[in-house]
Amino acid sequence: MHALIQGLILGVLTAGVYALMASGQTLIFGVMKVVNLAQGAMVILSAYLAYGLFTSFGVDPLLAIPVTTVAMFILGVAVQLAFLRPLHDEDRSELSLLVTFAVALLIEGFMSVTWRTTDRSINTSYANSSWSVGGYQITLVRLWAFLLSIAALGVLLLLLNRTRFGRAIRATVQNPESARLLGVESNRVSAIGFGLGTATAAAAGSIYGLLYPFNPGSHYDLISRLLSIVVLGGLGSIAGAIVGALIVSTSSAVVAATISPAWSEMTFFVILILVLLLRPQGIFGTTGRGAI
Amino acid sequence: MSFRVRLHSKFSALAVVTAVALLIAGCASSNSSSGSASSTQPLVIGASVSLTGDFADSGKAVQRGYQLWADTVNANGGILGRKVQLKIVDDASSPTQVVTNYQNLINKDHVDLTFGPFSTLLTIPASQVAKRYGYAFLAPAGGGPDVFAQNLDNFFFVQPAPTIKSGDVFADYILSLSKADRPKTAAYVELDDPFSAPIAENIRARFEAAGIKTVYKQVYPSETQDLSSVMAAVAAKKPDVIVGGTQSEDAYSQVKSLVQLKYNPAFMYQSNGANSPLEFPKNVGPQNTAGIFSSADWYPGSKASGSAAFTSAYIAKYGGSAQTVDDSSAEAYAVGQVLQEEAAKTGKIDNATIIKTLHSGTWPTILGNLSWSANGAPNGSFNLVQWQGGKLVPVYPPSVAQAQPVFPKPNWGG
Amino acid sequence: MRSIPYAGQIRGVVFVAALASLPSFNLAHWSINIAVFTLMFAVMSSAWNLFGGFTGYPSLGHAAFFGIGAYTLGLWFEHHAVTTGYEPFLMLPLVGLFAGLIGVVLGAIALRTRADVFAIVTITLLFVVQTLAFNLRGLTHGAQGLALPIPPFAAATFERPFYYVLVALLAATMAITYLTMRSKLGLSLAAVRADEDKARGVGVRTLGVKLLTFSVSVGITAMVGGIWAYYESFIYPQFAIDPLITIGMVLMTFLGGRGTLWGPVIGALILETAQQTLAYELGGSEYYLIAYALVFLLVMLLMPQGIVPSIQSVVRRRRRRAVVDAPGPPPSASSSDRTDVLTRDAVVVEGPR
Repeated sequence: MHALIQGLILGVLTAGVYALMASGQTLIFGVMKVVNLAQGAMVILSAYLAYGLFTSFGVDPLLAIPVTTVAMFILGVAVQLAFLRPLHDEDRSELSLLVTFAVALLIEGFMSVTWRTTDRSINTSYANSSWSVGGYQITLVRLWAFLLSIAALGVLLLLLNRTRFGRAIRATVQNPESARLLGVESNRVSAIGFGLGTATAAAAGSIYGLLYPFNPGSHYDLISRLLSIVVLGGLGSIAGAIVGALIVSTSSAVVAATISPAWSEMTFFVILILVLLLRPQGIFGTTGRGAI
Repeated sequence: MSFRVRLHSKFSALAVVTAVALLIAGCASSNSSSGSASSTQPLVIGASVSLTGDFADSGKAVQRGYQLWADTVNANGGILGRKVQLKIVDDASSPTQVVTNYQNLINKDHVDLTFGPFSTLLTIPASQVAKRYGYAFLAPAGGGPDVFAQNLDNFFFVQPAPTIKSGDVFADYILSLSKADRPKTAAYVELDDPFSAPIAENIRARFEAAGIKTVYKQVYPSETQDLSSVMAAVAAKKPDVIVGGTQSEDAYSQVKSLVQLKYNPAFMYQSNGANSPLEFPKNVGPQNTAGIFSSADWYPGSKASGSAAFTSAYIAKYGGSAQTVDDSSAEAYAVGQVLQEEAAKTGKIDNATIIKTLHSGTWPTILGNLSWSANGAPNGSFNLVQWQGGKLVPVYPPSVAQAQPVFPKPNWGG
Repeated sequence: MRSIPYAGQIRGVVFVAALASLPSFNLAHWSINIAVFTLMFAVMSSAWNLFGGFTGYPSLGHAAFFGIGAYTLGLWFEHHAVTTGYEPFLMLPLVGLFAGLIGVVLGAIALRTRADVFAIVTITLLFVVQTLAFNLRGLTHGAQGLALPIPPFAAATFERPFYYVLVALLAATMAITYLTMRSKLGLSLAAVRADEDKARGVGVRTLGVKLLTFSVSVGITAMVGGIWAYYESFIYPQFAIDPLITIGMVLMTFLGGRGTLWGPVIGALILETAQQTLAYELGGSEYYLIAYALVFLLVMLLMPQGIVPSIQSVVRRRRRRAVVDAPGPPPSASSSDRTDVLTRDAVVVEGPR
């Protein structure tokens, strides 16, 4: 019982950072109908940027988030303009898988050249602080990570719901044709939507770097997790990404704590397959157009 | 019109066939060059290591070790008057590429000798290729049980003991303590990998036989990022000794989780990761290293044969200090040392002589004195090292110890 | 083109005969070794193309079946002796059948979804199979790896049995592809690719044709997995079930031209030989991955249809120009334009011209 509750606490706290990464992923899909296989690599790249700022200038990774967010936004827009826009509509969904995978390799190569391949961790002064609440351990880093992820998600949702541009994005997701008729420039929306998706990767990357050691190859594990989350929740749905992240990280933390970590990855893959058998479009997905 | 079409169709089919044929013809022609070597020709040694991919840094450490040895030998006139020339190629940690690489080294470039690969999981397919063509195979990494189960007579694992026995020295030390000092309960946390979990399992067998109670055991897969729930379960059992069958990243995670959980065992051992003088303190924080045990063959300040020369040559060539020398470099260097001694002893340097000679006698290297059984398994043992005052020092067996082992383990942060 | 009905068959026979006669030129071991790996990928991309290329379903899970094939063969010969060395090859059809049956079951689950979601579900299946290979230690030996019998062939001709078996398998796979393209099945698959709902509306048994091609496709992949395992003589879960194997198959198919007979083979010839040779000759550079990714991106942007269709369209354009320049019958009367219409819809009736 103790292990179960400890696992639940851990799962919920970790879900925040995955919800953040996954909402970027699902946003990109919603806007462009592109599955971004480079999202994991972009998270790790942001973790390295935060690591660089921390080791060179002593900037706290959490304070570095505004800087890395801007950098990753620009990178995202550049990737969209250079590699995704030239694709023809009819084979965009097939080819974009390959193109974004190539972008992931490109980023991985860049990271191995710049930071080599040994594991890195960001050791802040508070990295090992923790409290014991009623016999359960809660680490300061995880609590921070959770709160910050929620805050970043909040900012994202505000952007989408309260700004003119956000409404343009949502209109594009729901119905690109009528959005275009209403004067929404789909190319601009696609570029900025992609940028926003990668910007969330930046915030998530700083937090990820605080929580786990990472190396340039870490993005492979990350992307398989992220894909499961967004498909589970329903591609294109941010609410789905959040629920998916909760299910994935609590189920794997609980299984790791109570049975064995060897079966924890398997658990959410099986959940995913079961959900898709019942609802091929995912929990929050719609069969027709997407909705954020 | 239709003539043009047929021409085109024939042309493209022909082009494919010609391209293939040309490719093959090119291959066939280079086959005829002979690989015979006179004594004035350089001694070409080929090896495939992982220079890209996940293990690139360790792969490069191996490359540095090989290169440093070759430079040292050549500065002294080479082996039996022949300059050593290395051909080191990349296998990108792929089992397919490693087979191609040794095929190419042996049959295309006709190297005189081969050294073993890094990464460890590639050793078996690579040693099979070498065996097929009668090449001796001196490997600085990859000494898992299955390698020796192949019973290859050309295979020599250049480390003091098979990998799974590298933790035995910790068991020796613990069992050498008086009954009162010995831990009563033990927890085992093991990475599922042929070079990690079996080390901890070996220690467990010894401990259980000696009456140390196992209160917890868990195996975790390599992609586990989060060891905090596992370590929480360990801490809940309050074991006296924690034995980690670890590699690198997971070793850091274990330590960080325990620090966060504020659980400090009386003894803590990690098979790998904790023996990296540079990376370990960087990743867990230097203040949290105190008292942790690990195994090592080479370590800074080792008194083994040629170690001082190796250390100063390494620093002269690559910079840094003795603390920044990777033990993979030392193991690779030792491979060269073995070869050099074999040549000095027999006056010959060919594969058949190497295979015949190395099966008997002991061979002093910077890793200590090495000797091999028939299947290439080394007969020695590792050294126990412990973090004391921010440095990794050998503490057991007494013959190599530079300090007394400290126990119980100092608390985290001090 | 259609006026010479046997051109396709003749081209195929010549190609296979040329491949089969190569070892008799007394090639060096290292070049046959590269040919063995190249043929493995030629067979696998052809197999992937049979399903992914014709239906447009981007399966990323084929490597799971490569691994199933490798482990099935390995586990069988853990308990059965190998004397002549040819037994594992004789087992291959059973390995393929077994994996094909598993493919029917897993396909029935995965094919409930479409396009991107299908890609993700199949890669999930891949990780499930990999996790099982790691965790069912009693059966697979988990992370410790599984030893296969060492092939008892003489060193001088060691690679040849592998080579010939792969040539036969490539011939079979290409023949299946060729026949599929010429049959009603090929039309059904093309209809699925163009518009699946409409296809079902006009009476195409979509689930049936998808399942059939999927299981044939993964069955062939598993046979290659078996050959690979025997050739390597020792397998680990992370190498036998490796997403990069699927990526290789997909990439080669896309490079050569999906939905064509020769595209996957040409893609494999180019990419696998290039990779095996370049990694050896230039490997060790940190920039390898960057260069690889850049080439990959350039190909995708410049030739989104792949080599074979791109060449076809260049040829077509030239031909049209020639027709316009030359005095003679108007272009609409030429037979080639009729095939153009067909190729446009991915019902590629012929290979490259």
